[in-house]
Amino acid sequence: MELCESVQRGLQQLADPSVFSPSSYRELLEVCYRSLLSSQADPGALDQPELKQVEQISLKQSHTAATTFILEAVKQNADKSTISSCLEELTFSAERIDMFYNAHQKHKKELEHLLASIGRCPRHINDVTWRLQYHVKNNQVDKVNEPFYCISLNTENEGSSEDINFTCTVEQLQDLVGKLKDAAKSVEKASQM
Amino acid sequence: MEEVDKILIHALKQVGTEVSEETGSVKQFSSELIVEAVVRCVRVIDSGLGGALPTSLPPGMSARFRVGMSLAQACQDIGYKGEIGYQTFLYSNEPEIRSLLMFLVEKLPRESAETSDQPQGKSAVLQRAIAAAIKAQLSVPWLPPNCRLPLHSETQSPGALHRFHVQPLSLPHCSPGKKQLKEVKDYHRDILPPVTAQPSHHASVVASILEQHTAELSAAQEWDNEWNSQGLLSRLKPQEYRSRKLTRLRKRIQEQLRSAAQPSPESALGGPRSTCDLSELLQAFRGSAPSDHILTKGSHFTHTQKFTFTQTETSASIPFVHQSDGDVQLRQQEEQLSLQQQLQQLCSEVDQLTADMKHMTVTHAQVLDELKQRELGNSENVEKMQVKKKTIDLLPDSDDNLEKLKALVEASAKRVVNLASQWEKHRAPLIDEHRRLKEICSKQDLESSKKLSEIKSLHDKIRVSTEEAKKKEETYKQLVTELENLPQDASRLAYTQRILEIVSNIKKQKEEITKILSDTKDLQKEINSLTGKLDRTFAVTDELVFKDAKKDESVRKSYKYLAALHENCNQLIQTIEYTGTILREIRDLEEQIETENGSKTVANLERILSDYKAIRQENSALAAKVREG
Repeated sequence: MELCESVQRGLQQLADPSVFSPSSYRELLEVCYRSLLSSQADPGALDQPELKQVEQISLKQSHTAATTFILEAVKQNADKSTISSCLEELTFSAERIDMFYNAHQKHKKELEHLLASIGRCPRHINDVTWRLQYHVKNNQVDKVNEPFYCISLNTENEGSSEDINFTCTVEQLQDLVGKLKDAAKSVEKASQM
Repeated sequence: MEEVDKILIHALKQVGTEVSEETGSVKQFSSELIVEAVVRCVRVIDSGLGGALPTSLPPGMSARFRVGMSLAQACQDIGYKGEIGYQTFLYSNEPEIRSLLMFLVEKLPRESAETSDQPQGKSAVLQRAIAAAIKAQLSVPWLPPNCRLPLHSETQSPGALHRFHVQPLSLPHCSPGKKQLKEVKDYHRDILPPVTAQPSHHASVVASILEQHTAELSAAQEWDNEWNSQGLLSRLKPQEYRSRKLTRLRKRIQEQLRSAAQPSPESALGGPRSTCDLSELLQAFRGSAPSDHILTKGSHFTHTQKFTFTQTETSASIPFVHQSDGDVQLRQQEEQLSLQQQLQQLCSEVDQLTADMKHMTVTHAQVLDELKQRELGNSENVEKMQVKKKTIDLLPDSDDNLEKLKALVEASAKRVVNLASQWEKHRAPLIDEHRRLKEICSKQDLESSKKLSEIKSLHDKIRVSTEEAKKKEETYKQLVTELENLPQDASRLAYTQRILEIVSNIKKQKEEITKILSDTKDLQKEINSLTGKLDRTFAVTDELVFKDAKKDESVRKSYKYLAALHENCNQLIQTIEYTGTILREIRDLEEQIETENGSKTVANLERILSDYKAIRQENSALAAKVREG
């Protein structure tokens, strides 16, 4: 895991027992996870009694560095050996590494969820209703006599559902079905590496 | 043979043949399986050759025969030397099939096996992880939204998504080298909110932090690269290099802007206009909101204008109250006319005056120039006059003055010579010094360039070794993960162990064989010595008894018995030897029978018979069809 200089500096401060006492270290970790995972920004996140004794600038630096490190670790799906070797290089003691890793394990799922929520996603199809209709004639042609399908896809996105309606001929429907099958097949193929 | 068969079956499975778990040896292979295995091997060895071959036997007998023939031909094309024909596949016999399969498996390209041993790249591991994740997701059944548990919500319901929206973050930098303003420090200490509270939307916190980190990291890498490639060669300190680069860039930007701003000849008028436009635009931009404010603060002229206008208005409004309508209108018109005339007059006057002013300024400038020139000419003239005055002063006493001047000239020439010699004196050591310093300089240059190259090579080495270390670590990790992922039957290890066992067994057997051989040699020696002994003792006894036999009747009898005994014993030995050879022959024959049994001759014969019948039936059916047709 590569870290930039400012993050390394901030983490080194965090590792320094003369800057962060054990209790303030624990509190800062808590604050980091809380500030990342809370649903609202909290400008007073660092106003904790345990963190009062720490110099404010280095506290903010360490907070930034720790949040960055946490996010990078989750992003790269770092395992225990990677995290601990990385922190060891930054002069963390074994006890602090353990503390960090335990906290990390505790919040990893939520953080993964948080990272996964960045992006976009097409609507999910939940259900299909269809109707076969017959086109007999129109104002221009007296005899059309073609069947066609009315299809309504029930889709869902972020909990809200919406219907997508369209009509298509048999060939178009076959094309659609073929494409869907292709998609399913390629997903299956991707799972068999 | 069992080991060989296992290896063969393993190899065939890798090629893609579906060998069931029960078949443990080549003996159990059916014709279909043999054909499939051979075709798959041929396809892997030479895809062009095997592409046309079917992997399964067709139902028709004649078609089977043809498939067998083409398969045999393909095997011979690959280079199989042994006896092969359609019968090898249709009426298989174990040793032939085994030798054929062994040949084909040996011919299989090795790379595929080797690549599977090689550690795959990082991407392969990642892809495998992705595949595993997709598989896990696929294995979970889809549930309608109402039945979803939180377990499914992760993959099946999209949840609230937001875009990767980045906002710049401000971080409290305090690098030890730089001194910061006290105010900035105070701001960082007391007012700056923590990074997680800085973005206006909390959702963009994660994206912003990640982006910030990546940007910083990539900038550092870029700088590293540049410093190693160019910065070191410039022999400057990092700060100097940076400032120099900054000035260079600025200069370039300036040049670019200047060249872009320079009006091309045909748009000579366009150039200034565009700048005008820009200033107008800026003015408009700045003055859009407080435009009236600017007006109120306008120039003196606008003030006076306003003042006069308001005055005239008030002066006009006063009489307006007293007079009757027609008069008023007339007077107003007149007034208007006169005012307009006045205005026009004034305007023209103003125009004229401005033109005059311009003219005046121009003439003023011209006059100033002229004045300067005149002054210059004046001073020149004054100088000339002074020189002339001096010469005139000198004229009366010309000879004397000439002498004086000559003396002066000579003295000055001498002085020049003197100075030159002095200069020479000084020059030589100075030049030497200069040369020396130059040499030192060049030496130092050389040294520094040497050191630079050393530094560079060191940097390179460092980089290379760090990269190597990283790579090795990565490969180590991959190997560990692969090892964890590997199926537990370590076939290779087992094979090598078995091979080693077999080799040791063979060694033991060899030792035993040599022991037995030496034993038999000993036995033969003993037998030889015994027969020799027997012969000698017989000859001696024969002679002794023969001597006595002439004298005594009973001894003669005993001699006869002796002869008979000897003969019988010889016969006995012969029969024993004979039985031995017969036993050996019997064993040979038994072995032969076994091999014959192994090649399934009877079964094959029966199959040949039935196939023959099938062919005849097919033929007759075809003939009937022909007749019908």
